[in-house]
Amino acid sequence: MADPTSTPANQDEAATKLGQMNLNADANEFKPSVKAREFVPSWKKATPAPESQEPETKSSPATTTTTPAPAVSKLQAATPTKGASPKIAPKADNDIEDQFDESLLDENFKEHFNIVFIGHVDAGKSTMGGNILFLTGMVDKRTMEKYEREAKEAGRESWYLSWALDLSSEERAKGKTVECGRAYFETTKRRYTILDAPGHKNYVPSMIGGAAQADIGVLVISARRGEFETGFERGGQTREHAVLAKTSGVKKLVVVINKMDDSTVAWAKERYDECVQKLTPFLKGAGYNPKTDLTFLPVSGYTGANLKDPIDPSLCSWYSGPTLLDLLDDMQAVDRKFSGPLRLPITEKYKELGTVIVGKLETGHVKKGQSIVVMPNNKIGDVVAIHAEEEETKVAICGDNVHIRLRGMEEDEISVGSVLCDIKHPVHCVTAFEAHLVILESKNIICAGYNAVLHIHAAVEEVTLGALLQLVDKKTGRKSKRPPPYLKKNQHAIVRLETQKPIVVEPFSVSPQLGRFTLRDEGKTVAIGKITKIVTN
Amino acid sequence: MTPVETDKNVEIWKIKKLIKSLERARGNGTSMISLLIPPKDQIPKVAKMLADEYGTASNIKSRVNRLSVLSAITSAQQKLKLYNKVPDNGLVVYCGTIITDEGKEKKVSIDFAPFKPINTSLYLCDNKFHTEALSELLESDSKFGFIVMDGNGTLFGTVCGNTREIVHKLSVELPKKHGRGGQSALRFARLREEKRHNYVRKVAELAVQFYITNDKPNVTGLVLAGSADFKTELGQSDMFDQRLQAKIIKTVDVSYGGENGFNQAIELSAEALSNVKFVQEKKLIQQYFDEISLDTGKYCFGVEDTLKGLEMGAVETLIVWENLDINRYTFRSLDGEEVIKFLNKDQEKNREEFMDTATGAELEVVATMPLLEWLAENYKNFGANLEFITNRSPEGAQFVRGFGGIGGLLRYKVDFSQFVYDEDDDDFWED
Repeated sequence: MADPTSTPANQDEAATKLGQMNLNADANEFKPSVKAREFVPSWKKATPAPESQEPETKSSPATTTTTPAPAVSKLQAATPTKGASPKIAPKADNDIEDQFDESLLDENFKEHFNIVFIGHVDAGKSTMGGNILFLTGMVDKRTMEKYEREAKEAGRESWYLSWALDLSSEERAKGKTVECGRAYFETTKRRYTILDAPGHKNYVPSMIGGAAQADIGVLVISARRGEFETGFERGGQTREHAVLAKTSGVKKLVVVINKMDDSTVAWAKERYDECVQKLTPFLKGAGYNPKTDLTFLPVSGYTGANLKDPIDPSLCSWYSGPTLLDLLDDMQAVDRKFSGPLRLPITEKYKELGTVIVGKLETGHVKKGQSIVVMPNNKIGDVVAIHAEEEETKVAICGDNVHIRLRGMEEDEISVGSVLCDIKHPVHCVTAFEAHLVILESKNIICAGYNAVLHIHAAVEEVTLGALLQLVDKKTGRKSKRPPPYLKKNQHAIVRLETQKPIVVEPFSVSPQLGRFTLRDEGKTVAIGKITKIVTN
Repeated sequence: MTPVETDKNVEIWKIKKLIKSLERARGNGTSMISLLIPPKDQIPKVAKMLADEYGTASNIKSRVNRLSVLSAITSAQQKLKLYNKVPDNGLVVYCGTIITDEGKEKKVSIDFAPFKPINTSLYLCDNKFHTEALSELLESDSKFGFIVMDGNGTLFGTVCGNTREIVHKLSVELPKKHGRGGQSALRFARLREEKRHNYVRKVAELAVQFYITNDKPNVTGLVLAGSADFKTELGQSDMFDQRLQAKIIKTVDVSYGGENGFNQAIELSAEALSNVKFVQEKKLIQQYFDEISLDTGKYCFGVEDTLKGLEMGAVETLIVWENLDINRYTFRSLDGEEVIKFLNKDQEKNREEFMDTATGAELEVVATMPLLEWLAENYKNFGANLEFITNRSPEGAQFVRGFGGIGGLLRYKVDFSQFVYDEDDDDFWED
């Protein structure tokens, strides 16, 4: 049980820590990609083309107001483009892309949302996910009946809903999700991809992979007496998941208080309020603003109450807010960088009539027939087909979670954690980089030579702390002159990290999604950080 | 740790060093004699054998070879005369003429009683010294096997003494679960099951290859680690060798595969491996790190501070990296004063280090010796315990890289003024 006296202190601590770090705070405002195209004057001077005069004047007001543009141009200059000459980014091409984007935005079919279900083990994430699929008609009645029958035979009647997402036999046998499950559903307003993260603490690496793809997190909390407390205690996954989701770039959380139908809860308002009250300060500490980033609502994943249809007032008279799906539908659109360079971290791959890769487009868009390059292997290929879940499309834009069939490369030549890029704007590949690190948890001290596992976008890699460069004062942000000999819990520092194999990263200021990372060791999240500088040699 | 054990560790380190130097030595023809006498053997019996050998060797045709073999045998005989009976742990004698780096010949004759019984009888003349039996002596700590298995790959490793070794790494691509359904859902599920089954089979077969030699397991215990169900599946599978199944001492849950998983598996099975030097080393350094993180002031690091601590008698446990490459120089300046300096390889290249700062005259080098040897000889004078560590454990690697490979746990708090690391100090911060 969590010691009630100690928890507030911890939360405060975490609050200041994350507050100062501002890992995601500036992510929203920063739109380097939009300006990337507008930053053309140098080329223009080199090849004066009269017809391109007009677009330039149009874009000039934007250029004057923004500073990040030079950073992007530097990126292009610094990256030696292999295969394709960097000069083939002419003005005409850019114009086409511009128009193309606008046309996309105009018709804008249905926006795609990626939702990750997170929370402590047995909070009911998979069950809720399964029920949503059933309610939205993605899993037909017959299949559900089949699952119900099978579950009954296995003596696990109440698990049948989760079987829609837990597909493998070992997951079904134990009732625990091991790998991130994914499913797709559609409402009248939007299209959604559900990522069902495992809750068990041993499978946190898989959860991070899921959270890295998500726009919105649904934190599932069990209201059942005892379960809520264990999940929330130190070592429980409620805390860890919330912090990890925040560092993976999930800006908004919907906190669903699940299992309200349980006999120990029985839709009691007191219990609901108690859960909300205990959670709010902690989530605030993790960097979520309770007013703008958090929404609470009571549901029952098992009965389906308040998922799609409102709760029967006879059960619960005190809640009259929106249902979960309504809430998601009305959620404000996430900022998308439609026009940035193409970046798609590969989360999965398989063979089906060629090589198929799966992932979420972080920035930019991809068209059928486009030439792409997969980094860090530097493999060049073409896009043969794009599948947005069930149906085939011609284009996919930033935010879409897609399956892409590639030509020109074998399945075993690419690996999970690679990044699919635009052939003209390949991404950085390095074995060393500098980063701003915040130590969250450490047994005693951390010094140079420390080994841990790095999670960045979809990649997981072993890293060594090459050197501690500067200590950062967390209150004033001042940096030390001398390197510190070691780091302790709650300290901030600029450090140098080294990997064995090249990995794909970008400075946080250029691409937040490819620039924020988590360090884990021995099953614990040791530190979070953002990349400040890429070390190339 | 008791003083007796500490002594043993120093002893082990000395033998390790000796083996290294013996292994490097090369001589002419077959003139290098390695002689190992097990405990309870008789000296006269060995002496007679040597006398017989002397007779045989005098028939060697080549003059150079004959002379050097004969002289080696003679010195071996003389060494034996120093003992009237074989010591309790047996006796080791190495005699011969080696060729030094400069191409000069040098006569070597070494005799010592090992720190624990050596149960090998050996007499060999070769162009090198045979140290295998001695190396085994160091390794004869029980060896533990580790299999770290997850969905991305498997790592086979061993932990023995203070070494952690990765025997083999294997990576696999298993199909993940996916949301694709329809008619082929069952087919995909089946393919997935088949691939997983084959993977378990492969790992089981490799395990036999690595952990069974001569139809016997070569490990005293086996730890299975992994993140998902693979490890249990492997442990219970019929494909897994029965002989190895009996050796499983622990199954642990780790979050990652690869080396990180290996480290975590060692950590989690520390109880079962508590007698292994590797785990003791980890514990020692963790204790050291704990002192630092609690800011007790009862620690020191760096050559200067540590030696200062030693002189004060404050150091309780001296922790040194076994490959620390620092030499201890004793200089004499013009006015006859003795100066002691500790220089590493880079500093030795710097001429200024060899100059007298006051007069600018060159200092006369009286003696040079590796700091490690000096510490091994003198640590007792300072009332400290000496612990050698490796950089093979994650903690050891941090100690070596972060703290220069030398440090100590102190009995009481000492303020080393020049190394104050003060965050409140304004000079510490940049503007």
